[in-house]
Amino acid sequence: MLRRIVSRLATGALTLLLVTLLVFGLIQLAPGDPMAVQDDGMERLSAADRAALEAYYGFDRPVAVQYASWLGRLLRGDLGNSIRDRRPVAEKIGERLSVTLSLNAMALFLIVTLSVPIGAAAALNPGSVADRWSATATYLLYAVPIFWAALLLQRLFAVRLGWLPLYGSGGVTGIPRVANMVLPVICLTYGGLAYVSRFVRANLLESTRFETILSARARGMTRFAILVRHGFRLAAVPMLTLAGFLIPALFAGSVIVETVFQLPGLGWLFIDAAYQRDLPVLLGVTLISGAAALAGILFADVTYALADPRVRRG
Amino acid sequence: MAERTGRPASLNRGLALVLVLGAIAVLAPLWAQDPLRIDLAATLKSPSGAHWLGTDALGRDLTARIAYGGRVSLGIGILTSLFSLAIGVPLGALAGFRGGWTDAAVSRLIETVACVPSLLLAIALLAMSPAVLRGIPDVLRVALVLAFAGWIPVARYMRGEFMRLKSAEMVEAARAAGASDLRIMVRHLLPSALAPVLVTASFAAASAILVEAALSFLGLGVQPPQPTWGGLLSDAREQIDQGWWLAVVPGLALYGAVLGFNLIGEGIRDRLDPRASTR
Repeated sequence: MLRRIVSRLATGALTLLLVTLLVFGLIQLAPGDPMAVQDDGMERLSAADRAALEAYYGFDRPVAVQYASWLGRLLRGDLGNSIRDRRPVAEKIGERLSVTLSLNAMALFLIVTLSVPIGAAAALNPGSVADRWSATATYLLYAVPIFWAALLLQRLFAVRLGWLPLYGSGGVTGIPRVANMVLPVICLTYGGLAYVSRFVRANLLESTRFETILSARARGMTRFAILVRHGFRLAAVPMLTLAGFLIPALFAGSVIVETVFQLPGLGWLFIDAAYQRDLPVLLGVTLISGAAALAGILFADVTYALADPRVRRG
Repeated sequence: MAERTGRPASLNRGLALVLVLGAIAVLAPLWAQDPLRIDLAATLKSPSGAHWLGTDALGRDLTARIAYGGRVSLGIGILTSLFSLAIGVPLGALAGFRGGWTDAAVSRLIETVACVPSLLLAIALLAMSPAVLRGIPDVLRVALVLAFAGWIPVARYMRGEFMRLKSAEMVEAARAAGASDLRIMVRHLLPSALAPVLVTASFAAASAILVEAALSFLGLGVQPPQPTWGGLLSDAREQIDQGWWLAVVPGLALYGAVLGFNLIGEGIRDRLDPRASTR
């Protein structure tokens, strides 16, 4: 098992290196003089800003040297400075992290806790009207574009009913208020929830033939209680793997959600950087999101190896 | 099994959705009004005989804007899907068939690109506007950018298919007859993998349409005045307190297209292997 985990972490480290190479490749893809903003109405950089950027990326040196020195800076936590306000990118990312993390943590928590009862309820009577309706509903829900859902929810709950704020974080700084988080969290949750409940249902149906479930029934538990309990146990490990894969999707979702609801997180920072062509910020956030997703996948794989007796023995 | 009730219908439903939306979009010049004609005397009109789906804040006909927006969305969906196949099918097939180092290299590449959320990758690429992407039409540029990550699911699926196929007897037979790897892959395995190619093609189109709409919604995709579904929804944000049709109808068109391509993909996949279904 240890060997398996070590080799997984080793390939993970290789992938991380490749992710940095991908982001570095994006820098190289930029036009001949990467820092010259195009003649499309966007302002050009001042000579001082350009000099600072060139010092950071070292465009005058050979590509391999550029990559090595950029990588060295990354290892020291230096992501360069923003073109707009000249502040360190790492610092700007640090300030925005708490909003994005709380948003994603809430969504992930809701997905994991709600999908089991929903999946269990659907698996209770496979093929019944209720099951077919829930299959159709989760299927339809999964494909709803986030920004459309956000728009419709805003119209309904903020404009028509006036129950929740339209956007903003409600305070001057820091973490948004609860009322300001309701719609964003819903938007970030429903897709994953629909997907994972279908997954739980399918898993439970495969296992309902197991004798453990029958013996639990004999002890007088209701079928729903059994399914939820077994659902958590059965789905826990595969769900971890899913959660790892959900992270990139959640992050992409929070780019849209934070922009629509104007929450000061990483996603909004990223979009702002895209509008302003703030290359260091843009690439810094891209790199962080890739590293976070990779960490999620590795965490899932390692936990999977530790938890699954079949893998553990192997 | 009861859980598959009604399944065979999904291919037909998907085809119907895509064909209807496709016909509306392709034939738009024949029947729709000018999607760019501004009429300040008729702004934000609700659906009526003159404007079936009402007008926007500049008095432009929403029916026409949705029809023309469909040309962008479906066009980018299909183009991206083709580009993604062009990269993903050979890479996935090679990895699955060869195994060993080839597979390890392709798998690392897949994992690397899959780590970065495809929306962020697309936004970063568009915002940087590298020289290769300048001076070409918006539709082509967005399709190329989306294919940059779009080939990943295609390659994953094809890798699995070719891994399965390479143990088939016909491979042994062909090899015994002296056929090269390339010949076996192209002449013998690819025809068997044609249906899986179609499956991934429709999933790729669905996700490209979704991401394109997100890009246009954020103002980073195909640029105005060209109407796009994402752009129409972005406009609807400006009029959040009026004109429900502005928010509902473009979203329905987008949702219908995404659902349609997803249903086609699943319909074909279920015919191939009913057990692989997640539905």
